[in-house]
Amino acid sequence: MHLLRTFARAAGTAAVLLSTTALVQAADVSFLTHWGPDTVAKLEAAAAAYTKDHPDTKITVRAVPFGDLLTTLRSSGGGADGATIAGIYDAWLPDLSKDKLVAPVPDAIAADTKANWPAGVIGAASIGGTLYGIPNEIDVYALNYNKKLFAAAGITDAPKTWDEFLADAEKLTDKSKGQQGFGMINSWAAGVLHPFASLLVSNGGELVVDGKPTLDSKQATETFELYEKLIKSGYSDPAMATADANTTGPFLDNFVSGKTGMIIMANWWESALKAGMGDNFADVATAPIPVGPSGDTARSISYSWMTVVNAKASADEQKAAWDFLSWLNGPSSGPNGASAMGDILMSMGILPSRTSDGAAFKDKLEGDAFLKGYTETLANAKGFPVVLGGQEFSEALQKTLEAVQFGQLSAADAQKTAQSDATEILTRAAQ
Amino acid sequence: MQRRQTQSAVAMLAPATGLITVFVFVPMLLTLWLAFQSWSTQTGFETARFIGVQNFIDIFSNSSVGRDFKAALLNTLIYTVLSVVLILPLSVAFGLLVHQKLAPGGIVLRTVLFSTYMVPMIAVALVFSKLYSPTEGPLNQVLGWIGVPPQTWLSSPQTALTSIVILNVWQQVGYFTVLAVAGLTQIPDSLYEAAKIDGANPLQRFWSITLPLLGNTLLFSAVIAIINSVQVFEPVALITQGGPVNATNVLTYFIRRVGIERAQGGLGSAMAVTLMLSLVVAIAALFALARSREAKSA
Repeated sequence: MHLLRTFARAAGTAAVLLSTTALVQAADVSFLTHWGPDTVAKLEAAAAAYTKDHPDTKITVRAVPFGDLLTTLRSSGGGADGATIAGIYDAWLPDLSKDKLVAPVPDAIAADTKANWPAGVIGAASIGGTLYGIPNEIDVYALNYNKKLFAAAGITDAPKTWDEFLADAEKLTDKSKGQQGFGMINSWAAGVLHPFASLLVSNGGELVVDGKPTLDSKQATETFELYEKLIKSGYSDPAMATADANTTGPFLDNFVSGKTGMIIMANWWESALKAGMGDNFADVATAPIPVGPSGDTARSISYSWMTVVNAKASADEQKAAWDFLSWLNGPSSGPNGASAMGDILMSMGILPSRTSDGAAFKDKLEGDAFLKGYTETLANAKGFPVVLGGQEFSEALQKTLEAVQFGQLSAADAQKTAQSDATEILTRAAQ
Repeated sequence: MQRRQTQSAVAMLAPATGLITVFVFVPMLLTLWLAFQSWSTQTGFETARFIGVQNFIDIFSNSSVGRDFKAALLNTLIYTVLSVVLILPLSVAFGLLVHQKLAPGGIVLRTVLFSTYMVPMIAVALVFSKLYSPTEGPLNQVLGWIGVPPQTWLSSPQTALTSIVILNVWQQVGYFTVLAVAGLTQIPDSLYEAAKIDGANPLQRFWSITLPLLGNTLLFSAVIAIINSVQVFEPVALITQGGPVNATNVLTYFIRRVGIERAQGGLGSAMAVTLMLSLVVAIAALFALARSREAKSA
């Protein structure tokens, strides 16, 4: 009898201890990102600040190179043991939501998000009207140029039209110095595609309209021909254009070391330029994408990133993840009414997409000549198509554009191939 | 009595064969089955839909995925042939250098050669991506000192795959040199002495004694080199991502891209089955060649 009572007491104590432990450590939340070590440290600091007031949540951050992010999400994110939170590129959302890897945003947080972000950004984070992520960064493209090389070539202003762009590229090209007028990118899908797409929209064209590719348009013909002209004239050297898995490499080295006059890139590479150029970063200026013969105004494509929650994580983990994300992206987590996420993004030169972050960082955005060139183009930017099969479509177009870069395809053949590949891929993905 | 012996044999073999069945044959059969299905890797097997040989038609079609697969197949073939053709003669040459007793330093040389095999691929990839940089890279600077114009290395579709092969040869040759040395030690000195007495010069001794008696070692080396080459993945994933223009897109990398990144499990499985069959055919052809040579010399 005594033994039985001892067992009962021990079992009762164990049950109380276990339930207390469960209460104290309600949820383990892991955050998967592609950010570099400095930015990860900032995210960890924000997570530490959050867990001080929420000891029931434990947050860990895991970083992988950009090139491995989607694969990591696909291979480990699909299970309950995968990352609870992941930062994703909006073009991946349709496929991830189709495979039920991402959870819809809870109603209360969705309502708050819809009220505090621009409608276009909310649209890119939604499928069929359901919001799947809290948007954080928005990226647009602009022409970056080296003022020193411009001055040496006798160019006073940034090119506004494609004719001026070609003329400047010619003046900036000096093969004896190993210098190219305009730097293209290869071996990295977005790096190849986004500058091309920005020139296309600045020429009045689009990649996809209503889910159908429109690479057979007159505007697309002119954009393919522009690429062919840049290559054939030697104003752009594809051998100087390689990117590596970390989205750096020779294309960046050549711009940083003053061997490339102009390049079309997104705002987020400000931190890479600063790190590579040091004081010489002052030589870099930003201008809107030159307008093509069929375009009416300078445009760029835009894309956004968002944080999503693993649909296969436990209910407790999902709740803890959304609560943390709501705080991280909310106006009380950062300095001066900004969100902690906005603060982290601004440290990399990335534009935060939350409306109140734009106001909180107004002075910084207006005082930063590099970023100003991007914020000015934001109003006229066209969103990169968010469609099923988007990644495969991007990779197919990447290869076609690289074939133009290396003279394997003429502009006409490339256009034909691009349209036919895109039609086949998007039709198949939509089935 | 015999029944008890059979039972005992089955009991002893069961653990090993069971593990092999679970971890080797089941995944192989599953891959083979999936090659005939339309299936997303993000969903359960119950969602797989039988589509016959459509996946195989797609990967050999002229669609975007078909062109990429055929390019990856060709690249893998070129990579494998170049790697084997370079590694085997170099391993024999280095093996002879290490094995000779005329000059000191053989063991040091063997250690230096083998050390490249022990360097992790991530470190090799990082160093080689910088060495190969067309404008800033030390390789082009060194070539410039001797009047050779800068090479494009990884930055051109014409040279990118060869550059990855050079990296592979650099890393693997030490391992194959050790195999060659092991083969050389098995050749009796008396054969060389007899050949010397018969007046054979070093070249004749190499062609008539060393090379024929290294046959089995070279066959083993060739099989391992082929398997290693067909499975190349890390340098492509770490440095080139299959570019530029598909020039370094190899099968393992492309299967990962299709099967995991795009979640097209059926297509990825069809590619994996094709790769497996190609490997089986290549290895079988190699053994058939070796057997026919043996028969001729016998």
